[in-house]
Amino acid sequence: MSDSRFLCLEKMTLSYGKNVAVPDMDLDIGKGELVALLGPSGCGKTTTMRAIAGLMEPASGKIVLDGTDITRVPANKRPVGLVFQSYALFPHLNVYENVAFGLKLMGVKGSELDKRVIDGLKTVGLSQYATRKPAELSGGQQQRVSLARSMVMEPKVLLLDEPLSNLDARLRLEMRTELQRVQKESGVTMIFVTHDQVEALAMADRIIVMLDGHIEQIGTPEDIYNHPVSDFVADFVGFENVFERVGNTIKTANGDVAIAGDIDDATKGLAWRPSMVTLGDGPFEGTVRGTSFAGGTREYLLDTPLGQIKAECDASLPAHDFGAVLKFDLPVHKAAQLARTGSL
Amino acid sequence: MFQNRAEAFALVLPAAIFAGAIFLVPVLILLSEGFRSADSWTIQAYIDFFSQSLNQAVFLRTLKLAAMVTAASAVIGYAAAFAIVNLPPKGKGRVTGLIVLPLMISPVARTYAWIVILGRTGIVNQALVAVGLSDEPIRFLFTETAVFIGLLQLFLPLMIISLISALENMPRDAVPAARVLGANWLQVFTKVILPLTKEGLVIGGTLVFTGSMTAYITPAILGGSKVLMLETLLYQRVTMANDFVSASVIALILIVMAFAANLLLKRLATARNKR
Repeated sequence: MSDSRFLCLEKMTLSYGKNVAVPDMDLDIGKGELVALLGPSGCGKTTTMRAIAGLMEPASGKIVLDGTDITRVPANKRPVGLVFQSYALFPHLNVYENVAFGLKLMGVKGSELDKRVIDGLKTVGLSQYATRKPAELSGGQQQRVSLARSMVMEPKVLLLDEPLSNLDARLRLEMRTELQRVQKESGVTMIFVTHDQVEALAMADRIIVMLDGHIEQIGTPEDIYNHPVSDFVADFVGFENVFERVGNTIKTANGDVAIAGDIDDATKGLAWRPSMVTLGDGPFEGTVRGTSFAGGTREYLLDTPLGQIKAECDASLPAHDFGAVLKFDLPVHKAAQLARTGSL
Repeated sequence: MFQNRAEAFALVLPAAIFAGAIFLVPVLILLSEGFRSADSWTIQAYIDFFSQSLNQAVFLRTLKLAAMVTAASAVIGYAAAFAIVNLPPKGKGRVTGLIVLPLMISPVARTYAWIVILGRTGIVNQALVAVGLSDEPIRFLFTETAVFIGLLQLFLPLMIISLISALENMPRDAVPAARVLGANWLQVFTKVILPLTKEGLVIGGTLVFTGSMTAYITPAILGGSKVLMLETLLYQRVTMANDFVSASVIALILIVMAFAANLLLKRLATARNKR
């Protein structure tokens, strides 16, 4: 076992009855990595996580953790922690008892138990809430109790299901930093599931983009953000203008449109973020069908012969009115060149 | 909703008069029968009742059978309810319907069905003899076992339904969370499911216990005079001996036991919670 293959999924297939949710998945995760499983709902990311935790048995394939095949090891015997999206705190137990739950089952008791529970609560800044019941805590606090409850078990892998989705915007930022801190301090291998690309980009060392049960792309946040491999990933990370490419043309709703610039032979598609669209100049024309002010920038929705185009420019520039006809360009040198299309 | 209390009061009055005249007053009259003597109030009837060994035996048997039925229905009920709650929605509706179905069939019909099954020439005996597990038919009818089986079948649905709703109100991920934190299935049950569903267990337990204690048809048909329970004894005292004093005594015993069972179950539930 090497550190880069700390957790390995080997040809893992997950199914609900006859419905295959995740077919033949191969994935290696390194020791101490902070990995995001990113994808839309129903892409199999939560199912994958439940399988790693042992809450679902793979129909075939293997799960190997730290050199040990854990495919048939029951959930309660796996060195894996899971923080549920609903937090899943035990409502009949107070904060202290919730955090002590797993440790007691492990046979930890007395002052050792007390120390580990208190340390766990300190790590998440909740030591003064030990005697509260979960119902008396805010969502963010419940989230942190749930985190502490898993962390005190010192799992080899900690899984988090949509850890930030139930929190409001400010708490989300706070919790993001908190999770990163806990991960760096403890060195635990952490995998979190999210449908929010911003979250994945901000927190993860590595992102695994999933679609329809398979892995669409694996890469660093920079890779994913700048070099999406497929039209799906491109769209998911904000390239809102995605086209299939044939030769020197792009396919649009109104036929093929010639486009100037150097394109790799292997490129199957081209994608532009709204900010990459040149507004006010260029070979194409579009009619403004919508505008929205986004602080530093102003976004435009254009009706064009290429279909709808989303463009964006500095908000300090004068605004274009609804119905105005604007020239624009899709510069090839800025576009993301996609190796695959057809998954959108 | 109402402008004043008088309106609400006026609406509830007919029901209150009906319940008072038809239910409460006769019950009080009946119960007072047990405390009356020539010139004053006394508990002599209760002392007399419990001094007879037959009555003691019937009292203890009633208590024992009701407790056994309650315990058995809790064990079977938890397993069934847990399985049902984890079914997909469609299957859940169907199976719940099947469980409720017996409640819609006359208890007399249901109880007679047990005679077909448990009788000397019933299905069970035929099978036992055919397989060679028994040389001759075993007597099931008119035994405590028969009454136990009949009562369990009668009241199990109430327990299952109480537990289904309790289990459905449990936080969705509580069980998987306990599993991931290292709990085996027994620990999941004792440390998570039981404390979180104890209200349902108390309700189901009270229903099954009081139901078993006060059931008449099942012990009458499956137990007969060989396996008397308080309810069948009460009926016997009234119809055969015209003994309304004993009837009154038994009635109050049944009421007190029902309340006691409820209190005891609640106490057990909270005691477990504190630990």
